[in-house]
Amino acid sequence: MRHAVAVSAGLAWRSLLLVRRMPSVFLPALVMPLFILVATAGAFRGIALLPQFEGVSYLAFTIPLATVMGGGFAGVNAGMTLARDIEGGFVDRLVASPAPRTTLLAGPLAAAGLRSLFTTTVVLLAGLVGGAGLPGPAETGVVYLLAMSFAAATACWSMGVALRARTIQAAPLMQVVIFLSVFTSVAYAPREVLTGWLRAVADVNPVTYLLEASRAAQLEQLTWAALWPGLVAVAGLLAVLGAWALTGLATLGRR
Amino acid sequence: MRLAAVQTAALARRAVVGTLRTPQALFPSLFFPLVLMAIFTASFAAAPGRIPGFPPVRGFLDFALSGAVLQGILIGGTVAGAAFALDIEGGFFDRLVASPASRSAILAGRLAGGVALALAQTVLFLGVGIAFGARVQGGAAGVALLLVLAGLLAVAVSGLGIVLALRSGSSEAVQGTFPLFFALLFFSSAFFPRETMTGWFRTVADVNPISHLVEAMRAQVISSGETRTTLIGLGIAVALAAIAVAACFQAFRGRLRGAA
Repeated sequence: MRHAVAVSAGLAWRSLLLVRRMPSVFLPALVMPLFILVATAGAFRGIALLPQFEGVSYLAFTIPLATVMGGGFAGVNAGMTLARDIEGGFVDRLVASPAPRTTLLAGPLAAAGLRSLFTTTVVLLAGLVGGAGLPGPAETGVVYLLAMSFAAATACWSMGVALRARTIQAAPLMQVVIFLSVFTSVAYAPREVLTGWLRAVADVNPVTYLLEASRAAQLEQLTWAALWPGLVAVAGLLAVLGAWALTGLATLGRR
Repeated sequence: MRLAAVQTAALARRAVVGTLRTPQALFPSLFFPLVLMAIFTASFAAAPGRIPGFPPVRGFLDFALSGAVLQGILIGGTVAGAAFALDIEGGFFDRLVASPASRSAILAGRLAGGVALALAQTVLFLGVGIAFGARVQGGAAGVALLLVLAGLLAVAVSGLGIVLALRSGSSEAVQGTFPLFFALLFFSSAFFPRETMTGWFRTVADVNPISHLVEAMRAQVISSGETRTTLIGLGIAVALAAIAVAACFQAFRGRLRGAA
């Protein structure tokens, strides 16, 4: 067990070092959440004049979208790192070593969580500079927790894809599914404003509940009734996508 | 002259067929604009008529249609530039230059291919929009003007991609410009009206040529083509296309000099 933790920590550290060694691959994942925050809050701020927004600042409304997307990008990076390691033969060497296989998932998973810690901090600071203000300590903790949980869930999704496709060319599939899952939720407006097909999709999309909980925390409207659906959604995503990643891991060595 | 036209047509056809045979190149320019149009339409359907400054429109889909058209052309232009860079990387460009083919046909062929794809894509987007309830208030003249604007913008964006391809010789470098176009698009009135923006963001959107191009396209859809907006958009599109074509020829000569 101790050995597995040490190997996982080593792999997580290795993933984080890649940010410095291959900035062209990983820098966009760090910059994009900031871009999403500025571009979305600037372009669509007029929509917050609708009464359903109850007078909240659209910048503050957008912060959870940017933190959650930051988690999503961190998750995609975990999948891309694993795909590169499979292509480069590093995974084969690791599988042949006495290290438990699950460390292949646990290391990048931990790195994704740590990366999302960084992007969430950057986004919250940008929001502060823009005048959105910071919520209380407990609410801020919820914003961090939900972003990190989404990073873990999307890392499981991306690593599951990487383990099955075994090529970095599968990266667009990892990204597109995460983009769609976020943008078909309450990314730009609350559910009461959404219409037609998007309202129906958002109602059953777990990311909706995650974003609503994070938004309630950011806007200091956090209650247990607002939080628990987000926690259930995160738990469901982690259970399903964790199983997807683990079953992908089981395919290693079959081909 | 006639031979150059035949060569241009053949190279344009090759550019179109090459893109159609590479679904992974075609997919982003069709998928992302249509999906974003659908998402924005369902997210912001309540905006028209209820937000101060929002232009009078029948529905948000009418407003969003031109943004999708423009986004598709920006992505398609990057793809055209990247395809030209692949020709350079693979040696086809060198073989073409060594052949008796007209030099201008090499550039004109690629540009014409980019324009043809952009026009087909614009017609497809208009068709999808109309199928879901959008109406082009400008009628046939409005559609024609929209296609002219789309064609000119395609020359400008494909031209820029070709310049980068000629200067760098790398498809990755050309594709690397995509985030720039993405930023230009979001910091404009492509998805929401400028009248609802404030502060520095509004200033950036005001000076961003994409805002004026998309507003000229939008004028054909949501009204009968407001003359001033249309003329400003057309002027910018012509200027950008002319600059891009001139830059293409300069980069082409530069590459040939470098190879000599």
